[in-house]
Amino acid sequence: MTSVGPAIEIQGVYTAYEGAERPTLTDVSLTIGRGEYVVIGGPNGAGKTTLLETINGMLPITHGNALVCGHNVRGNGVQVRCRVGYLLQNFSFDPLTPFTVEEVVMMGRFGKMGLFRKPGKEDHDAVKKALALLEIEDLADRPIGHLSGGQQQKVLLAQNLARDPEILLLDEPFSNLDMFAREAINRLLTRLVIDGITVIIVSHAFDDLPDRPVRVLVMQEGKIALDRECSPGEVEQVIRNAGNGTRNA
Amino acid sequence: MLEFLIPNNIVCHAVEAMLFASVACAVLGVIITQIQISSIGFTMAHAAFAGAAVGMFLSLNSTICAIIAGVCVAFLIGPLSDKARVSADTALGLLFGISMAVAIFFIAYMQTLGKGFSAMGLLFGDVISLYREEIYLLAIICVVAVVFVVVLYKEITGIIFNKKIAESVGIRVKPVYYAMLFVIALTVALCIPIIGGLLLYVWLVTPAAIALQFCYRLSAMFVVAPLVAAAISVSGALAGLEYSLPVAPLTAVLLSLVFIIAVVISPKRRITFRKS
Repeated sequence: MTSVGPAIEIQGVYTAYEGAERPTLTDVSLTIGRGEYVVIGGPNGAGKTTLLETINGMLPITHGNALVCGHNVRGNGVQVRCRVGYLLQNFSFDPLTPFTVEEVVMMGRFGKMGLFRKPGKEDHDAVKKALALLEIEDLADRPIGHLSGGQQQKVLLAQNLARDPEILLLDEPFSNLDMFAREAINRLLTRLVIDGITVIIVSHAFDDLPDRPVRVLVMQEGKIALDRECSPGEVEQVIRNAGNGTRNA
Repeated sequence: MLEFLIPNNIVCHAVEAMLFASVACAVLGVIITQIQISSIGFTMAHAAFAGAAVGMFLSLNSTICAIIAGVCVAFLIGPLSDKARVSADTALGLLFGISMAVAIFFIAYMQTLGKGFSAMGLLFGDVISLYREEIYLLAIICVVAVVFVVVLYKEITGIIFNKKIAESVGIRVKPVYYAMLFVIALTVALCIPIIGGLLLYVWLVTPAAIALQFCYRLSAMFVVAPLVAAAISVSGALAGLEYSLPVAPLTAVLLSLVFIIAVVISPKRRITFRKS
């Protein structure tokens, strides 16, 4: 069931890695509506991935509050992650990994199924639909380790889509893809946004954005330095200017 | 349990022990090798060895002390690698060192006091001097290991695939991972009297490694590994007792030979492409 209210509501959030002397996110406040397409930019180490992992509850919030899909992230990380897809950055699998593509995509449903439940018809249908969306049905029985980096990336994206997520967090989703795959994924993400799914991507590939206004967040030293809407053609310049502005300040 | 097939009580006990121990170790071995924590078995075996030595020194039941030590190590690995911010491998190395130090200290001290202590049984196993209760315990742990994998199959596969991805899809990784370590520790501690602390490693790693040469799916590995382990272990026990050879070392050698053959004939290394 889809929750009501904004997709993400974060107030004064601080996130710190265990043992770190300084927080990686500092006093971050942010509201993201349903069906928004958000691009996060900023230099390496600015806190982009940390922000994604704070949203889905994989990193602990030390101060502040975060509501995601109507759930308080603190103490409800598992429930949040059942509604939020997260494509991790740069993954590749060993050729001997004993999992087929279909099995990997099915894993996307495991959290939703809960403990002790076996995959049912609904789960198998969701997997088939996700494979079809990514146009990789023909790879279903192939071992994931035998695929190229781009194909593996598509499989992991299908794994996230199989969950029927309300929010998709994508960390460098275009990094291993060829130009045809990038265009196809871009079209798919645009369609998902139209269907009301919130898409948040960390990317440096600014050619692959939807042909519609997007919201841009620029992270600098664990803070949001800029938050504005702009056309896809402006994104690169806006992020560049925000970076220069902070450096010159 | 198998008296109707093997009338000789000693041989029957040995076969039963090898069968249950090999199936339990092989099932858990698939998890251990796929998460790449095979040194866990080695460390737990030595912790159990240390526990048994302490038990003997304090005139307590050495098997129970071995189980407690193995389980304690299982519960220390996770928190030690989390809190001390070291890899699980380093945590295992630290615990292995402590276990060996404790074991050697107590064995040496007992010798100084004039108390005899034979470490051979614990190091290399002894299948013919097992009590019926110990075989029942092994049967129970074998069932526990199989049921554990069947019931938590999807969580286990998620963790094996990638712990971080498993966490991101909503699997409760930590409780399942610790439960996994607990079952492994229990199995290792109970198998030490049969297989021995040093040879146990072969049972934990080799059947899974053999299965990996032929299986493209994890579910197939969970079937092939225990079948291979059971067949070779029962054959080893029968051959060892028939020809008066040490059972556990003989079975370890047989498992290793089958692994070499599996590597040679594995279809995974064959190139089937033909230019038409």
